[in-house]
Amino acid sequence: MKARIHAAALALLLVVSGCSAGSSASVASGPDTLSVGFTAEPASFDFTHTDGAAIPQALLYNVYEGLVKLDASGQVVPLLAKSWTISPDRKTYDFQLQPGVKFSNGAPFTAADVKFSLLRVKTDWTISVKSAMDVVDHVDVVSPEHARVVLSKPSNGWLFSLTSRIGAMFSPTGVADLANKPVGTGPYEVASRRRGDSIVLRENPAYWGRKPAYRTVVLKYIADPTALNNALLSNGIDVISSLTSADSIPQFQGDTRFTVVQGTTNSEVTLAFNNKRAPLNDTRVRQALTYAIDRKAVLDLVFNGRGTLIGSMVPPTDPWYEDLSKIYPYDPAKAKQLLAQAGVKNLDLRLRIPNLPYAVSAAQVVQSQLAEVGVQTTIEPLDFPAVWLKQVFTDHDYDLSIIQHVEARDITTFGKPAYYWGYDSKRVQQLLAEADSGATEQQVADMKQVARQLNTDAAADWLFLYPNVIVAKTKVTGFAPNQVSESFDLTGLRPR
Amino acid sequence: MTVKVLRRVAILVVSLLVASIVVFLFMAVLPGDPAQVALGVNATPALLAKTRAEFGIDQPLVTQYLRWIGGVLHGDFGRSYVTRDAIGPQLLDRLGVTLWLVGAGMVAALVIAVPVGTFAAVRHRKPSGVTVSGLSQIGVAIPAFLAGIILVQIFAVQLRWLPSGGWTPPDQDVGEFLRGLVLPALSLGLVQGAVLTRYVRSAVLDTLGQDYLRTARSKGLLPGQALFRHGLRNASVPVVTVLGLQLATLLIGAVVVERVFVLPGLGSLLLDAVSSRDLLTVQGIVLVLVAGVLLVNFVVDVLYTVLDPRLRGS
Amino acid sequence: MKTRNGNLVAGGVLVALVVLAALVSFAWTPYDPVQVDAPDRLLGFSGSHLFGTDKFGRDVFSQVMVGARTTLYVGVVAVGIAAVIGTPLGVLAGLAPRWLGEFVMRVNDLVLAFPALLLAIMFGAVFGADTLTAMVAIGIATIPSFARIARSGTLQVSSSEYVLAARSAGRSRLSIAARHVLPNISGLLIVQSSVSFAIAVLAEAALSFLGFGTRPPTPSWGRMLQESQELLTAHPRLALVPGIAIAVAVLGFNLLGDGLRDRLDPRLAVRV
Repeated sequence: MKARIHAAALALLLVVSGCSAGSSASVASGPDTLSVGFTAEPASFDFTHTDGAAIPQALLYNVYEGLVKLDASGQVVPLLAKSWTISPDRKTYDFQLQPGVKFSNGAPFTAADVKFSLLRVKTDWTISVKSAMDVVDHVDVVSPEHARVVLSKPSNGWLFSLTSRIGAMFSPTGVADLANKPVGTGPYEVASRRRGDSIVLRENPAYWGRKPAYRTVVLKYIADPTALNNALLSNGIDVISSLTSADSIPQFQGDTRFTVVQGTTNSEVTLAFNNKRAPLNDTRVRQALTYAIDRKAVLDLVFNGRGTLIGSMVPPTDPWYEDLSKIYPYDPAKAKQLLAQAGVKNLDLRLRIPNLPYAVSAAQVVQSQLAEVGVQTTIEPLDFPAVWLKQVFTDHDYDLSIIQHVEARDITTFGKPAYYWGYDSKRVQQLLAEADSGATEQQVADMKQVARQLNTDAAADWLFLYPNVIVAKTKVTGFAPNQVSESFDLTGLRPR
Repeated sequence: MTVKVLRRVAILVVSLLVASIVVFLFMAVLPGDPAQVALGVNATPALLAKTRAEFGIDQPLVTQYLRWIGGVLHGDFGRSYVTRDAIGPQLLDRLGVTLWLVGAGMVAALVIAVPVGTFAAVRHRKPSGVTVSGLSQIGVAIPAFLAGIILVQIFAVQLRWLPSGGWTPPDQDVGEFLRGLVLPALSLGLVQGAVLTRYVRSAVLDTLGQDYLRTARSKGLLPGQALFRHGLRNASVPVVTVLGLQLATLLIGAVVVERVFVLPGLGSLLLDAVSSRDLLTVQGIVLVLVAGVLLVNFVVDVLYTVLDPRLRGS
Repeated sequence: MKTRNGNLVAGGVLVALVVLAALVSFAWTPYDPVQVDAPDRLLGFSGSHLFGTDKFGRDVFSQVMVGARTTLYVGVVAVGIAAVIGTPLGVLAGLAPRWLGEFVMRVNDLVLAFPALLLAIMFGAVFGADTLTAMVAIGIATIPSFARIARSGTLQVSSSEYVLAARSAGRSRLSIAARHVLPNISGLLIVQSSVSFAIAVLAEAALSFLGFGTRPPTPSWGRMLQESQELLTAHPRLALVPGIAIAVAVLGFNLLGDGLRDRLDPRLAVRV
């Protein structure tokens, strides 16, 4: 009898532990392998259908390339296009292409692929950023190495958008299974993926450009910031792509094994006001809240003082950046006075935020500061992305929210009255349109005015610009301090 | 006895069926439209209708349920609303990780509980024994995730002996796999081990009072020897039963521990799927976990039936 | 014998400590537990901040006090739900015809297959996670243990002579339940409440840690632990304080349960 029980218990344990241990993402380790830790994992490889920053972060410039890219200082520079010219009416773009470029499936890259990729954005893509391609009237294949794009109206934003995923070049032979098998011209191809854990990129042997220094790059996905830090501290990874909390920086800085690289991002941590909903439709109320919040303290508490106070929706890497952070000094008395002028009493607002660490942190600080001028807030953390996107972003069911706006030059969203800001200013819309079609000097001048107008209207409160803090083993070098593009660009990384 | 076991099997099948209906209905009442979630901010009415038809969620609930459960019986859990990937293979993959963790946690619990519990029992009148049982009380009161956080801090961050988390499949590198399993298994096992210690102690205490041990001692064996030769096997019977019940607790405890150690198991998949409102995946995971608990309970029940002479007789 | 009384006393003291902290927090805390204070962040143990301050400059001692409130609140409601539903269910299952009793217990086993954590995550997905969903989920998951204990207690009492006598005197089942069964099994139920309370405290902590429990800024020991994780190397105090608070509460209720079991009915004492 007893033997039977032991056998049964043993069998149970065997069933328990002997089961499939799962497929493996084969990872070689060695001097030409690099392991980079990220927090957000791509849901799929198909950024034509799936939103989210994680996919282009992994694939753009690494697996997919466009005609142009953003360099570390934010300039548009050649990539698959050797050079380009713009016609005097600013509507016709002539791209001379790199010769001898091949996709990772062996297909050659020609002007026909340019036409295919650009027009495919209009027909096959479903994500909202595809509207950037609406301005394209038609694309001509002049020769295999010469593509001509004709716009229906001049647009500065269009060329800039080509540096993002919108500009990625696809081959008609490589779009059958975008979600699982991306085919691009970049220095890496996807070797394997283990969902919930990692993606392995392997050197593309047929790459046309300079070979990357690391032949294998493992992208490790660790959602929990502490676990991510621990992975670096215990040699599980070589690089943290971007720290999501500053409290751990001292422990890396004090350790010679690591280097900390700090720069700026495009990511404005924004306290959004629902401009359409009373009482926030009153400029004085929005200004009052802006005076009531001590952004320096917010930055100190949420990101240990790292990061940049900006005062409008412009990061320092944009050509029209001005420091507008001093226009609303912390002034609770002024805030109370403005609230009284607006006739608002016993304000109780719903602060509906994504359930992400920085937002939960910032919300608690904002709540405490607003309480001091008599404004009550209820914090409602919503699951991100699903619930926040639906209720706040799509249905505009919120008073206040806090979220990072990560896209480059997303100041243009204030030109869309249907956007969740609910901000509708004819002047801003007109300035934005003028800036897009004008020459460079005009563009810069107009954009400066937009930024100032948004600040004056207190269209939102830009709490701070998220810093780009990369922590890496000292043996790895070549990081660009500023994160200006959508990509975590692996091509510049090399051993020290 | 066969009749008894057959009855248990019938109960298990009915329970699984009812559980699947409960899980399905629960997910069906969820506010929000999976098609809307899948399309996110890019939803248009036409696209929504198309996606709903594609997911089959425009069908009546009964049809949806039958289609789902029919697939599940063949190992097909459907395709994720969010990633559009097949859910079944992913569940299997993640289940493997979770089961390794649970198995290792169980081993850790046993490795802790058997010697400690026996010690506490043999020395139950001495200060050392009392201290050990007191410590086991404290062990029960510490959440597994706290144990995990502390273990990572000591052994991964400070001493750098073991990885802080992550998963290496055993077929890739057995050494790394085992190293990675130590801390998660310990954090699960410490708490369960503390619970188990108390059962081991009481089982050994019972055995110590038995006549045959007295006889053995009168033959001149030391208490430890007597216990080791004759007592432990008897004491193990109730412990094995408790162990089975603890499996269920471990399975759920793994959800939290996976989070702390970034293990790609069912628990982390569940939490990710919940936050992206990937309902079909949530539904699949919950079903698997619930079925796991039911199965473990079934095995324990059968063990009882086999064990208990009174039940055997009737 | 001595250790058994010891259990009761030690458990009682620890639980009283938690209850006291919660009660006093209604009237007084050293600081406002949710008031952020940039200059005073991450202070260590000191006279003015007994347990120091957290990364937002909030007083940890005040947070622990109010956190005790959250913990007790969750425990009371969860155990309340379980006892109020589980006890009558178990008693009726014990008094009902055998097949009905069996059926109720099978349903009971089915509920048992949905552990508190899983249920709470599911509830969180449906209704949005907060303290209420956590309490209800933990409560529902705890029903089976009450039903089980109540039923076995009832079966035991029902076979006793005075119940058989009452039954032959023509008393209805309900009146038997009220007069004889409930008073006789109340000891068992009190013990179960104490043990379930300990489990509920652990479950709430785990849920808050995962982000499925109490919402910020309401202080909760589980969330304090979660927020302290990143600072563990530099400020282990921030994890230790809520960690010890959880352990004290769980230990207290467990010991209280053990002690009560021994005190109320030595025959029922399971020596574990």
